[in-house]
Amino acid sequence: MLTAEQNDELTQVDAGTPMGEVLRRYWYPVAFTRELAEFPVKRVELLGEFFALWRSPSGRYGIVPEACPHRKASMAYGVVEPDGLRCPYHGWVFDESGACIEQPAERDDTRFGARVSAKAGVAEELGGLVWAYVGPGPAPRLPRFDVYVMEGFRDIGWADLPCNYVQIMENAVDPHHVEWLHGRYFSFIGRHEGFTSPASFAKKHVKVGFTPFEWGIIKRRVLEGASEENDDWKVGHPLVFPYNMRVGGGGVHQMQIRVPVNRTTTRFMLYTVHRPDEGYEHVEQPMVPDYRIPVLDENGRHVVNYVEGQDIMAWVTQGAITDRTTEHLGRSDIGVAMLRKMFREQMDRVARGEDPIGTIREEHERIDLPCEKDKFHAGARFALDFCDMGSTRFSPMLDTIKKIHVSAAERVASGSAS
Amino acid sequence: MRPAPPGRVERGPDRRFAADAAAHRRDVPRHCPQCGAPPALATEFWEGSARRFYCWCSACGWTGEITPTGATAVGHEPEH
Repeated sequence: MLTAEQNDELTQVDAGTPMGEVLRRYWYPVAFTRELAEFPVKRVELLGEFFALWRSPSGRYGIVPEACPHRKASMAYGVVEPDGLRCPYHGWVFDESGACIEQPAERDDTRFGARVSAKAGVAEELGGLVWAYVGPGPAPRLPRFDVYVMEGFRDIGWADLPCNYVQIMENAVDPHHVEWLHGRYFSFIGRHEGFTSPASFAKKHVKVGFTPFEWGIIKRRVLEGASEENDDWKVGHPLVFPYNMRVGGGGVHQMQIRVPVNRTTTRFMLYTVHRPDEGYEHVEQPMVPDYRIPVLDENGRHVVNYVEGQDIMAWVTQGAITDRTTEHLGRSDIGVAMLRKMFREQMDRVARGEDPIGTIREEHERIDLPCEKDKFHAGARFALDFCDMGSTRFSPMLDTIKKIHVSAAERVASGSAS
Repeated sequence: MRPAPPGRVERGPDRRFAADAAAHRRDVPRHCPQCGAPPALATEFWEGSARRFYCWCSACGWTGEITPTGATAVGHEPEH
């Protein structure tokens, strides 16, 4: 339970608010690489602001606020030129730094152009996504987390959800929900719809723990029949502050991404890499495929017969912004309290002019995040449950993905794995 | 702002727990036990019948739990 003022502060995303200023210190995926290959300019909303994102003919990316500084027409309808984005209305051109480099109907011997630069962000491509940083400069480095750079077969499921991102992030430090929402509830739905839910998700929690680390909070659990020597405790998996969670197991590597589009809309993305530890043979992909995951059925009820659909139901039905003034947390929610503290700490750091946790300014090749391999001590079974019972079953690549896991297991069994 | 995606749930104040919310406002710790500054954040949770406040003080960095106990001090008797 929080006061109304603390709940308000925690859930803000707008510029000028303490949390909005924290959020503006991070990079966010704002488009699929595929989208700008199909058409080179796109309107994007991020942190409650609209931008025009474009890809130049030479493959560089730029991002500027949507409204042209001249007469406020949308730059998202702009003309992509070799050296910038041209406003469709009167032809002013802004380069990737936001400088106005052409005003066709104005005399060029004035300093008018220098007065009207667009406050540009920075945009880069990584792992099939276009990422943007729209905070104060100089921008930190785009973190090259393992999933975005590792070898493997990729796909990206996504949905836009009508709720604040903080309630989604609180789920990432709530281990107990797995045994109920993805265990008992899944089994209940399965009995009514005629399928068997995965047993590994219903295992009882014996112990949970949370460890702050340089990228966020590592979540740990001991499940019935296991010990602190099992991966679920010894390694765990991390909430990657402020808007990601790294999960995986059984040759599946995933970043769950929750982009605060605005205060009550969150872009939920499941960035998945299939790469069995042994027996994997690489499959080339010209472009990373993306697909929508279902949220509501034709009657407006949540689709709850898959893992992430159950999560979405639990997040969205809390309301657009969870009312934390009348919640009733228990001891088992202590991870949630720890996360709120981390959010609040970062507000102070940013107010002091410091970088918040999880930003990086050093050049780097790859950031490996801790993540258990033997998930729920279920072994390779986890990968098949992941395909059949999670969002991957809606992927256009499902058959290929299953084949990757089955073939790798067969190669291991026959002794032909490298 | 663009239209919200479908499925948005608007909830009014939950009047069933107005008394709990009022108790939170009344009892939330106003001073850090270490330095006396107002805690930057206090999340209230329950453990059995005990109400606890998980607090963080931005002035001195203190993190801990504060539990209102009422007038009665309760001991315990482990098996012996």
